[in-house]
Amino acid sequence: MSRIALGLIVLTGLVAAVLVGGSPQVGAQGAWPTSDSYVNADKDAASWLLPARNYSGNRYLSETEITPANVGTLKKAWSANVDARGPLETSPIVWNGTMYVTSSHNDVYALDAKTGAVKWHFPYKPHVIAFSANRGVALSDGKVYEGTLDGHLIALDATSGKPVWNVVAAHDLTNTFYTMQPVVYKNMVLLGASNGDWGGIGYISAFDAATGKRLWDWNTIPGPGEAGHDSWSGDSWKRGGGAIWSGIAIDPATNTLYADTGNPQPDFLGTIRKGANLYTNAMVALDIGGSKPALKWYRQFIPHDTHDWDPAMPPVLFTGTVNGAPRNLVAAGDKGGNFWVLDAGTGALVYRLAVSTQKGQNTEPNRKGNIACPNTNGGVEFNGGSYMPETNAFYVPSVDQCGIWKSQGTATYVAGQFYLGGSFPALYGPSTGYVNAVDIGTGKFMWRKHLAFPQIGGALSMSPGLVFTGGVNGDFTAYDAKTGNVLWHYATGMTIQAPPGSYVIDGKRYVVVAAGPAGVNFADPRLNKGAPTLEGSYKHPTSATITAFTLP
Amino acid sequence: MRTIALGLAAVLTLSGAAPARSPVDDHASALAALADVRAAVAEIVRIEDGYAVGHGAYLRAAHRAMNALVGRRDDGYAKSFGDPGDGVGTLGHLDLMLDKAGTSLWTPAVQGAKANVLAAAEDLQSALAQKEMEEYQADLTRALASLALVVGRPSQSGVLGGLSGALANTSLGVPLGALSASGCAAPVRAPAYGVVAGRLAYVALPRSAASAGIPDDLSVARVVVQGDMVVLYTHAARDAAALCRSASRLQRTRSVVASPSQISYTVAQARAGAAVYRRYCLQCHGADLQGTAGPSVAGADFVATAQRNSWSLSDLRTTVFENMPFSNPGSLTPKQYAGVMAFLLASNCYPSGAKPFPPTASPSFAKVKLAAVPRAKPANAKLGTCPVK
Repeated sequence: MSRIALGLIVLTGLVAAVLVGGSPQVGAQGAWPTSDSYVNADKDAASWLLPARNYSGNRYLSETEITPANVGTLKKAWSANVDARGPLETSPIVWNGTMYVTSSHNDVYALDAKTGAVKWHFPYKPHVIAFSANRGVALSDGKVYEGTLDGHLIALDATSGKPVWNVVAAHDLTNTFYTMQPVVYKNMVLLGASNGDWGGIGYISAFDAATGKRLWDWNTIPGPGEAGHDSWSGDSWKRGGGAIWSGIAIDPATNTLYADTGNPQPDFLGTIRKGANLYTNAMVALDIGGSKPALKWYRQFIPHDTHDWDPAMPPVLFTGTVNGAPRNLVAAGDKGGNFWVLDAGTGALVYRLAVSTQKGQNTEPNRKGNIACPNTNGGVEFNGGSYMPETNAFYVPSVDQCGIWKSQGTATYVAGQFYLGGSFPALYGPSTGYVNAVDIGTGKFMWRKHLAFPQIGGALSMSPGLVFTGGVNGDFTAYDAKTGNVLWHYATGMTIQAPPGSYVIDGKRYVVVAAGPAGVNFADPRLNKGAPTLEGSYKHPTSATITAFTLP
Repeated sequence: MRTIALGLAAVLTLSGAAPARSPVDDHASALAALADVRAAVAEIVRIEDGYAVGHGAYLRAAHRAMNALVGRRDDGYAKSFGDPGDGVGTLGHLDLMLDKAGTSLWTPAVQGAKANVLAAAEDLQSALAQKEMEEYQADLTRALASLALVVGRPSQSGVLGGLSGALANTSLGVPLGALSASGCAAPVRAPAYGVVAGRLAYVALPRSAASAGIPDDLSVARVVVQGDMVVLYTHAARDAAALCRSASRLQRTRSVVASPSQISYTVAQARAGAAVYRRYCLQCHGADLQGTAGPSVAGADFVATAQRNSWSLSDLRTTVFENMPFSNPGSLTPKQYAGVMAFLLASNCYPSGAKPFPPTASPSFAKVKLAAVPRAKPANAKLGTCPVK
């Protein structure tokens, strides 16, 4: 059976390759990106094909049109309203003049990338387990893929928005859902499960891009007999956590997938899960060239975490200059306020830098409560940053908050509820943010900018020397990559917790960002009162909007 | 079997002077809590009045007072210094009284007492860290002031009355097994305790017992000799009499509707909770409670999820009280959280009752499974919610 199935896949692949190879890639209906398009996504100035533009996960763009000298004249080109029942975290995919975005409740929209006009809209009404969020779609071979809040993987016809297939992808629908933006690699749709604080076990799955059939799962928590299993006391591994929430990076040359794993569970009670709790709070490098993934290496950032300080930032692969010599690196960031740079080949630590206030980190939460920083929504959040070769700097926003942590003596699993062994920390003191520029040559700050609000929007860097990012108060800002000076800003009037993207249409470059209501983590009371922005007062939004900017 | 039995015995021994009692004797708990406070006070007074020389004696006194207050199950308990109390500690006794379904008239007094014990414990903790005698004494003085409030005074009820006030003026003063009668009518036999809606109106004693002296912890506002009995009317008697009058008026006009389940909240509480919801919850759960950034919290989708996952009232309460609002959990007051619970129950079409949803947890909540309310007629048929007006 399996041999026949394999044969069919190969055959389908061949047919698809022939069809795509025989038609022009841009301009004609029915022309879609190929495997090569993804591998060479960085060279395609017009499109934005992958969540962070390329398989490296580096939200960086080499271009010449928008520069520090003219960015001040950047103007809104268009904006499009989408379903506003939750925060927008979508990273737009742009191909052939069409932009694909999602709303928090899994509605998918195809927009005209030049005007913002809606080409089609796919509404979806998922049952929400925990919170609503979606980080965008994948596009391949005429299909748009979305992981949903009710644990499905859906393929839509990219031209019409009509469903092609819809499969139940999550194993336990009471505690597992999808927020991650799927990534297409070869014939696979790769998707990680979100179940980190609800008592599930993390895994990343590959589905056949043509049919939705499951090809493999890779569990983040080793079961009995597997290496690393002894890092869990008793049966604690069974609800050990380690969700794969965020984006992934892939090195196509070696078929290596880089993913970051979530925190262990119960989140705040370490005593019932003694040990390092592998492979939670770690980066894993998986060989996905074979029929099943194989672990190449792992680096655990915070062993036995008891504060929900998982590495939320998607991995970023880049070649940086360290001590005067080029080196293949991979970056990570965690909610504990650490920015990490590792050797991409071995996982060896190159350095760590604290990008948020750190305090009380070695004390496990107890019944009385103790203060530790960052807060659970602090540190480096889920959109991460980017590396710019021109400055040899890594740009990463961060959140500065402290919390009061408490645990209980016990943890009871209740389906569909938090599995914490305590409670999420109460905010202690101010809630602010930073935009950080880290000098990769030295591992120290090149500059950092302290801002009144948490910064979770993710950074886009552009070669003429610009860094775009957005804040919780709705400011969308362009910084001078060398100095951190604000060169341009625009008040969206909504919360930005989506990463910026960019594309070219009719010879003009656009920068795009999504903004909407604040998500559950960042429902800051200041936002309701009219929080200050660079252009006036923030107004609590009744809308969620995709906004594109271009030079006049 | 043998191992299990042994294990149970060990647990009982560990929990010391608070063995499993049935029913829970709040009166005894209150008296024991008071005794522990008095032991702590005596410890402090002894060292303050004495002429001890050397750091050790002072540390020892503060540790011993602390032990009597917090009990041996607390992290602050330092066994090696000895314990002038009973080992359960004032806090242990008070927690036992507060950790149950519903609230009593004496609940605020006990909550107030607990807050003052915690304040005193903090001062003692501070005293333990002091190097200067003057600072040490200042901390102990502060602790004594807090403990005076814990003891309180019999002439007053509510928070100001402390434990003495609650014992003297509420049903807390009734020992387990004692005869409790309606305080609206005059006593017919002694000994007996007259109670009206949680208020202790009188204590009737046989003349022979009364002649031996009036119990210390009573607050006697008026003494009436009635045949063979001496009836000691408390400071709460007047209040109780007023209640008796209004209750008899009410009874003539309408009958009281009892809540059909163990879930109770009042309409006023749900309305107050609606305001709290609008301010702190609506942003993520929506004006129609169907969820925006967060999940739905009322109506068909919520109830279906609750039933599928077998959620209890305790599960819902834990999420609300301990993990919400998600951006700053635990930041509301227990009263606000209880109001939100009342609002959610009302929105899910649970009928209101006479008792408010309590601000403290109850073990019985774990037994109440959330489910669609039978014969409920959701005002919003589409969503399956009952809006709070």
